[in-house]
Amino acid sequence: MEATATGSAARVARQRRAMPSGWWGMVLLIATEFTLFASLIASYFYLRFQNTPWPPAGIDDPSVTLPLVFTGMLVATCIPMFAAVRSVRAGQRWLAWAFVALALVVQATYLGLQIWLFVGDMNSFSPSATAYGSIYFALLGTHHAHVAVGLALDAWLLGALAFGLTNYRMIALRVIALYWYFVAFVAILVVLTQIYPTL
Amino acid sequence: MAVALPKAAEPRIDRLDRIWEERPGVMGWLTTVDHKRIGIMFLFTALAFFVAGGVEALLIRTQLLQPNGTVLGPNGFNEAMTMHGVTMIFLFVVPISIGAFGNYLVPLMIGARDMAFPRLNALSYWIFLAAGIFFYVGVFTGNAPTAGWFDYVPLAETTYSPGPGVDFYALGLIFTGVSSTATAINLIVTMFKLRAPGMSINRMPLFCFAFLAVSFALVFALPALTCALMFLEFDRLLGFHFYDVAAGGDTILWQNLFWIFGHPEVYIIILPAFGIATSIIPTFVRRKMVAFPLVALAEILVAFIGFGVWAHHMFAVGLSQVTNVYFAAASLIIVIPSGIQLFAWITTIMTGTPRFKTPLLWIIGFITLFIIGGLSGITVAAIPFDQQVTDTYYVVAHFHYVIFGAAVFPILGGLYYWFPKVTGRMYYERWGQASFWLSFIGMNLTFFPMHIVGLLGMPRRQWTYPGDLGWTGYNVIESVGAYLLAAGLLMVFVNLAVSCFRGEHVGNDPFGGDTLEWATTSPPPPYNYAVIPKVTSSYPMWDREDRREDLVNLAQGRKVLEQGHETPASTTVDAEWDEILEMPSSSPWPPVLAIAISGIFAMVLLKQWIAAAVFVVAVLVVLAAWHGKEPQEA
Repeated sequence: MEATATGSAARVARQRRAMPSGWWGMVLLIATEFTLFASLIASYFYLRFQNTPWPPAGIDDPSVTLPLVFTGMLVATCIPMFAAVRSVRAGQRWLAWAFVALALVVQATYLGLQIWLFVGDMNSFSPSATAYGSIYFALLGTHHAHVAVGLALDAWLLGALAFGLTNYRMIALRVIALYWYFVAFVAILVVLTQIYPTL
Repeated sequence: MAVALPKAAEPRIDRLDRIWEERPGVMGWLTTVDHKRIGIMFLFTALAFFVAGGVEALLIRTQLLQPNGTVLGPNGFNEAMTMHGVTMIFLFVVPISIGAFGNYLVPLMIGARDMAFPRLNALSYWIFLAAGIFFYVGVFTGNAPTAGWFDYVPLAETTYSPGPGVDFYALGLIFTGVSSTATAINLIVTMFKLRAPGMSINRMPLFCFAFLAVSFALVFALPALTCALMFLEFDRLLGFHFYDVAAGGDTILWQNLFWIFGHPEVYIIILPAFGIATSIIPTFVRRKMVAFPLVALAEILVAFIGFGVWAHHMFAVGLSQVTNVYFAAASLIIVIPSGIQLFAWITTIMTGTPRFKTPLLWIIGFITLFIIGGLSGITVAAIPFDQQVTDTYYVVAHFHYVIFGAAVFPILGGLYYWFPKVTGRMYYERWGQASFWLSFIGMNLTFFPMHIVGLLGMPRRQWTYPGDLGWTGYNVIESVGAYLLAAGLLMVFVNLAVSCFRGEHVGNDPFGGDTLEWATTSPPPPYNYAVIPKVTSSYPMWDREDRREDLVNLAQGRKVLEQGHETPASTTVDAEWDEILEMPSSSPWPPVLAIAISGIFAMVLLKQWIAAAVFVVAVLVVLAAWHGKEPQEA
């Protein structure tokens, strides 16, 4: 039953009626991570309702344009990830590799730009001066850490796919794509929370 | 089942033995991914922490034996009290229930050959061990946390708790959370994917339903705790202000996040006990559980409603009256699923033909204690009453009846019940019954007077008390009870330890059990079942025809899967045969990864950020190596 050749991995996947174990594992990991973000965002608004004005005096309202544009970039990478899954199911390993590589480049650019914004914010207000700063940087930092984990997963996937397509790697690609859909969705929630005081 | 193996089966069994053989000696244990070995490691590690938590409890009771006691002193008392709570909850009850019982029994009960993610399973254990050591490194270096297991701010902030004690607490809990989450996800996927073909979801044993509910509760409850602990560590290590009112933070934020986790955690503690009770009762009363589907639903409902009641821990905080009333009402709803289960257990026992062997005695003890703890629970759900008794020993009495009496008694009963399965030997029945009675009397002597002394106004979490308030007599009884209880528990462990070597050899199914684990040999082989068992009902061991058919299948080589390290996967709801999975075999990477992760936590504790980053890189390297060897699925 070991599927090592490209064609047989795709065949195993087509014959399977239920979702593979790896898929369930990722769904549950996403469930628990999503709850973490729900706790963070709930804490943001909990603290917001303890404080007026928000952000506190001396801190500018958050900028809107750049965070939204960057988030759009990240969300757009769901398309190449989705295309990679389609290609791999059709047995086109290198096409899948190319889509993942494209996604990786955009996602890495996103993280770089976000870190640039993050450092800029750090220079204008401190996480250790007000609760607003604390939750702002904690929320964004947690999100960026999740993007960084995704980049590591992509990098591993590109390495693994270069050596051939197995059933294991095929499931890996599917669940890593799922992880990115989750990160993209959370990115939207995080950015809306981030820019909320300006809206 | 009498195992009269057909001749034709022997070469198949030999082949399975060869395929599933593990490395001998210590390396075998270090690299194992066998759920049974991992379960046993969880068991012994958790029991070691049970001893530690028990010693802390005895220190507390010795300190409070008489007024103005001097055994511990205020700081020592706070350390013992904090570590008692942390140890019992996070290092004993949760790991022994999901790690030991869940790991060992769930795959056996559903007719699988391993967990869905065997290497992740090993990682869960090594992380748990590392986290436990992490906590106790703090204790033995004189840095035990002193802010209580609930760790309220601002007491837990650096202003009032300088030194690394609370950092050991907070980082240690995030650390154990990783282990519990991994085990929970693993159990859910195992139950969804690896049930023997034929075990549709409605035929899954009630034990598994309880563990499914617990696992989901862990997946959704732990992040709130992780979030609260992250905030605390940001405050403590980096000078953030989540809980600092002067900078716009809020102390009640901690309490909300902590109890959003903390109340589901109570059900995480007790639901495995419900599962164990529903396994033991049918076997010893010789009848099927009453209201099987209702009990299954009730188990899941308990876990679900547990997420909506957290503020009943905060009635005295000063939340708005509307909030308090909502949470009081929600808390009372818990009575419904709890009542369904209680009445189902009692009716099953009363309408069956009970054999009052040791395991059933522990379960009857559990039912009694759960009723007492449940009734006192109803009293504290009443807001005005709770505001009177909050922070008194009344509350201590209530939650020890529930999370010691009701949660730990079935665990002890379960140790007796599955002892013959794990060892192939029988425990000493008379001594088993004596250990129950001693523990039961000790338990009630320790905790019942706390109701009274609480109503008399004795505050909890205080290191001592004056002698002229009429509390002394009760405290003496409580402390004597604690020593009796310790003697009873010691008797359990001596009984089991001696039986390991001297107990009478018994067959595979000495009690006439109802679930699949009794179908295989005692102890089970590494592959659990030589033939994937046929399942047509919720009580597969009582379906004699199916078990006979297994033997025929084995002789003819059907459903044996003797080509490799294989187990079947079924469809999620109907459990129709779907595919054959190639499972990973032993791997050195889980313990190595656990060491690398420990490095991250240790360096964060020491504020060595660069070293912590180096360990993050090490984790990535180990993960890449881990995935160098691919099973078909993992």
